[in-house]
Amino acid sequence: MKKYNFKESDLIEIRTSSEKLQGVLMQSPSQNLVIKLNNGYNLSINKNDIENIKLLKKYKPQKEKEISQIKVNKSLPTISILHTGGTIASKVDYKTGGVSFKFTPQDLLEMFPELRDIANFKAKLVRKMWSDDLRFKHMSILTNEIKNEIKNKVDGIIIGMGTDNLAVASAALSFALESCPIPIILVGAQRSSDRGSSDAAVNLICAANFIAKTDFAGVAICMHENMEDNNCLILPACKTRKLHTSRRDAFKVVNEEPIAKVNYYTKQIEFLRHDHTKKGNKLIIKNKFEEKVALIKITINMTANQFSAYKGYKGLIIEGTGLGHTPLDVIDKETKEHDKIKKALENLSKNCVIVMTPQCIFGRVNMNVYSKGRDLQKIGIISGEDMLPETAFVKLSWLLANYPKAQVKELIKENLRGEINKRILPDEFI
Amino acid sequence: MIDYKKLDFKCGLEIHKQLETHKLFCNCPSFVNDPNKPDIIINRKLRSVAGETGTLDIAAEYEKSKNKNFVYEACSTSSCLVELDEEPPHPINQHAIDIALEIALLLNAKIVDEIQIMRKTVIDGSNTSGFQRTSLIALNGYIETSKGRVLIPEIYLEEEAAKKIKEDEKTIIYRLDRLGVPLVEIKTDSSIKDPEHAKETAALIGMILKSTGKVKSGLGTIRQDVNISIMNKARTEIKGFQDLRSIPKVIENEVKRQLSIIERNEELKNEVRKAEDNFTTTFLRPMPGSSRLYPETDVPFVIITKERISKIKLPELITIKAMKLEEMYNLPAQLARELINNKTFEKFVNKYTIEPSLIAHILIDIPKEIKKRNNLDPKKLKEQDFEFILDNLNKNIISKEAIIDILSEIIQNKKIDINKYKLISIDNIEQEVKDMVQKNKGASFNALMGIIMEKYHGKIDGKKASELVKKYIS
Repeated sequence: MKKYNFKESDLIEIRTSSEKLQGVLMQSPSQNLVIKLNNGYNLSINKNDIENIKLLKKYKPQKEKEISQIKVNKSLPTISILHTGGTIASKVDYKTGGVSFKFTPQDLLEMFPELRDIANFKAKLVRKMWSDDLRFKHMSILTNEIKNEIKNKVDGIIIGMGTDNLAVASAALSFALESCPIPIILVGAQRSSDRGSSDAAVNLICAANFIAKTDFAGVAICMHENMEDNNCLILPACKTRKLHTSRRDAFKVVNEEPIAKVNYYTKQIEFLRHDHTKKGNKLIIKNKFEEKVALIKITINMTANQFSAYKGYKGLIIEGTGLGHTPLDVIDKETKEHDKIKKALENLSKNCVIVMTPQCIFGRVNMNVYSKGRDLQKIGIISGEDMLPETAFVKLSWLLANYPKAQVKELIKENLRGEINKRILPDEFI
Repeated sequence: MIDYKKLDFKCGLEIHKQLETHKLFCNCPSFVNDPNKPDIIINRKLRSVAGETGTLDIAAEYEKSKNKNFVYEACSTSSCLVELDEEPPHPINQHAIDIALEIALLLNAKIVDEIQIMRKTVIDGSNTSGFQRTSLIALNGYIETSKGRVLIPEIYLEEEAAKKIKEDEKTIIYRLDRLGVPLVEIKTDSSIKDPEHAKETAALIGMILKSTGKVKSGLGTIRQDVNISIMNKARTEIKGFQDLRSIPKVIENEVKRQLSIIERNEELKNEVRKAEDNFTTTFLRPMPGSSRLYPETDVPFVIITKERISKIKLPELITIKAMKLEEMYNLPAQLARELINNKTFEKFVNKYTIEPSLIAHILIDIPKEIKKRNNLDPKKLKEQDFEFILDNLNKNIISKEAIIDILSEIIQNKKIDINKYKLISIDNIEQEVKDMVQKNKGASFNALMGIIMEKYHGKIDGKKASELVKKYIS
């Protein structure tokens, strides 16, 4: 095809052997040329069929409209929104279909006007990233931002984040903030906010209400209670897991009760537990995490080198089967490998803290019931109780970076941030 | 009489037809009406989002001002997480694409090189996602009508919206069985010349759709929207036509309404109106703006290769098929049309020596007669029931007159005693007829025939009986 003098968003006319077509040139997802027709539809045209293209009108970007300054309402608290990415407050670029992050308080209030009645808002775009790309360093970046906002005397912080690792990040933040004077609520959206059905607004508004109207302090998550838009739950930072790939109510509390329920319509807040930390504590940040920590899931047919691969690691979380088991016993010639697995674990255990967590997700590890569990304990593997594997992972990384090894082995078994529940009740299951 | 040409009458159609395949973006079956009771009920809110131009679309804004709650009722037999907007769409239904391509070819349109799925913002709650997924399938088609060529600039493949069940000030209840059912939308240009021409064009497109045999049939599976304007003033879109026959009258009344507004020097507005049963129209909502589409990034685009298009077998159009049946079997035109979708007619014609017109009569008219006369449901009759009748008829065991009675008994699940209907040779009753005529001297021909037919109803050939009576009367 010839070289033409036009760019995306220009109005062009394309002539093929059979027709003449007019439209705005778009970004193409494929080899074809894509124009937006006057009726709004995108039309994709095979480049080989194009005989000629004529530029009709060059694109002139419209001036952004001036937005008036937002008035501060002194009778309302101030909430700061730290945005890291994800679909929670993204805007669609209707030209390309891509998602853009215009993220000023003005943008926010334009998208969610109800927020005006709840609090004064500040907003900052910390990162534009998928939560899948989170690293421990981002926890330091976030805790530093939190520190700044607290210094600026905000009454609460909402962190907008992609949902994939939102629960893991909330656990990590919860450890990094040893003591926190204000509420830090993580909010995500399972449906992007460019669509009418987005859950972002309800989640965000409920989180803001919860911050503005309660004495809660510390880290928690605010997401849909069920498939309806009626209620959000405030979920504990260390005991929540994304248990569904796509539903609005993907986030479920595990081995625990939710902290509170917020009604989107009535704005009523009902505490479901009464042991939350209250506002006003001093801020203590311990935001270091050990990098050499991993998580391995037990499957059938494992080989010893899957374990010995972690040689040199300081910590390893095992997501064990049932009450906390791994392949270990040689019962016939097919299972000879298990002896090697045992040796690999014994070797690893000399310099690495190994913690057992349940791959069943719900329930507690108990390595006293079967001989296999007792053998694993003899190797030096520590029971992670009812901790979520991902929570145990961030906890172990955090402990190893902030405490000597001997103390790590003790603290991993202790409940520091609500990550271990010593009394699981019958209702605390799906 | 309105002179439409003088009024600069412009009229175009938008025809929506449901396709006979599973839903467009998930694997749920596509019911016209799920007969089950809804077992999922959820309450949702929708928010209007800024349109492409950065400003709220007028139609979206109008719906927002209503600030409604939406209640979605779903049956697990016909809706999954996709309809509930709790799971992203699956890749587009390839069978639906093939049907749409077939329709596009029948309408002489040029198929796009690549199907790009778009989201069309819909904020009235009829789509749980807040938008309808739609895609342009073909461009620049046409059909020939009695008043010239009508162009079909665009053909779309899109998902059906949810069905509105109930609405009050605060809440709209929708049923999700229909949401996601694939449909084609066929848009004509505005060259339709008058109200009758609109009806003809709609009927022609309807016939072409039906010819594929791959579209749904029955109430609610087709929708015809009519766009009209006069004197280059505002455009009105009229929705909700119950059937084709009402199109000309509704258009005429709408033109009269617009004329009276123009006469009063009032402003005509672009709006969407509803066709009412009394052939008038009522206001539904302002005309939606045009800038409300953006790409559906959750569904991969589909490249349409020349090879794929070349593999599509085009069906014979119903009108042509009907004409062939008419000529070949010497059938009345109406009967021939009704036989088009009957898969057994030609099979029976080949199997039996019975007159094709009688077979057609048995397959098409007799079931209607049974419903009318005996108030029984002829849909219960199966192919084998007709075969049973034709077998016996073919072997001269029963007479034509017995058919309704036998089929009625079959519908009522009665055991059929064929002896009851066995044809009696006319020679066997000649003596009886002779005696009867003598006994009833002076009785009219009709009275005598009445007595005979009452006794031998369905068992003798009526024509031969009447010849016999005539013979002895004189």
